[in-house]
Amino acid sequence: MTIDELRARAAARQETCGQIKKMIVSRLDLEIEPDWITDDQPLFGRGLELDSLDVLELYVAIEAEFGVALYDSEMAVFGSVSRLADEVNPALRARV
Amino acid sequence: MASDLATVHPEGTVFGDVGDTAVPLRFSSLSDEYRALRERAVVVDLTGHRLIEITGPAAVEFAQRVLARDVEYLTSDRCTMSLVLDDTGRVVDQVLAFGREDGVLLESSAGAGTRLCEHLRGLGEEGVRITERTDLAVIGLEGPYAWGVVGRLIDPELASLPFESVVDATWNGTDIVFARTGYTGEYGYQMIVPADAAAELWSLALEHASPAGQEALELAMLEVRQPVPRHETGEGATVVEMGANWLIDITKDAFVGREATLAAFADGGGRRVVGFTGPEGVPAPGTRVLAGGQDVGEVVYAVHSVGLDATLGLARVDRDLAAAGLDLTVGGAEVTTLTSPYVVPKSWSIPII
Repeated sequence: MTIDELRARAAARQETCGQIKKMIVSRLDLEIEPDWITDDQPLFGRGLELDSLDVLELYVAIEAEFGVALYDSEMAVFGSVSRLADEVNPALRARV
Repeated sequence: MASDLATVHPEGTVFGDVGDTAVPLRFSSLSDEYRALRERAVVVDLTGHRLIEITGPAAVEFAQRVLARDVEYLTSDRCTMSLVLDDTGRVVDQVLAFGREDGVLLESSAGAGTRLCEHLRGLGEEGVRITERTDLAVIGLEGPYAWGVVGRLIDPELASLPFESVVDATWNGTDIVFARTGYTGEYGYQMIVPADAAAELWSLALEHASPAGQEALELAMLEVRQPVPRHETGEGATVVEMGANWLIDITKDAFVGREATLAAFADGGGRRVVGFTGPEGVPAPGTRVLAGGQDVGEVVYAVHSVGLDATLGLARVDRDLAAAGLDLTVGGAEVTTLTSPYVVPKSWSIPII
């Protein structure tokens, strides 16, 4: 893959991650810029320190904004923003 | 400086220098210790973590200035993980801060106590006393069933404490500070005990869990992107480049290193860290990373992951390539960038009962 193709692939993931960060900040009323959240940081407990109520809010928000229902998913899908991006945009996981 | 527990560790324990301290790297094999950590429970010798007490009438104000997280209302039943930065925004250490009645108790990362203490004393001000508590030692528990060890060793009620809760407890007639913490994504606990009681607690803990050394602990930390300061803070990397933003409360009005960190964030450019895996070899720090044949960064550090049975590492690459799912080349070998966590902790699917 050329470097331009790799950059395009990275940009696709970063765009989805950016959408998720904006959603988290907006829905949970966080007083930080969305980009302050990194793609790989933990979201629950450590990291963004979200709790179980926040998870419920995010379930609803993700379904509304991405049309993806994660209600029966394991906690691992909330392991990081990038991990969540794999769920809301499965094309990111596809190998070329 | 040797571990307070060095004399009780069995013959054959492999020690290694980590910063200013010699710590047990492994007791048996990395593979066995790692699997015990991820599948059962291990006891960890954290005596290489130095305890530094900040007391005096201006203690909280001082702690608030030197810690990147907000500790103004850190009560004695709470602890929090925070970075300590210098004026240029570089990481001095990653600490656990415990609220105490008379100030704040800081726990350094492994082997970083001397550097942290010197940094704090350099910032010292009137009304602040900075004291190294060499009379105390730290022992940790990690693993999906570490809560069971807490129940058998100390008190079952302590096992289900909320994350980062702290309790002043009594064990075997000795006052200890007990905290629910964790570095590996698994259930984790720490006990701060008088140094002269550490050997006894360690020995009793071994009746319920096997020991794990620094290598297994650091591998499990890497797998969940818990920063390992001694590997990740070199080369003058900023917090933003490290991706350790979450260990900073950027909305806090003032702390040492805030302006430099904000400037690095506003700059938006530079490099970012991303995890990678490959089938073989462990590239050395600094090994060049290529994308489509072009040099785009370097390896921060890498190890062999027992959990993945593959190479696992961190690379610092151009920001527009810091994303999972890319095929890159490291030292001539093909690697793939990863989404964290690289290994899902078993504790995420096991309740405390």
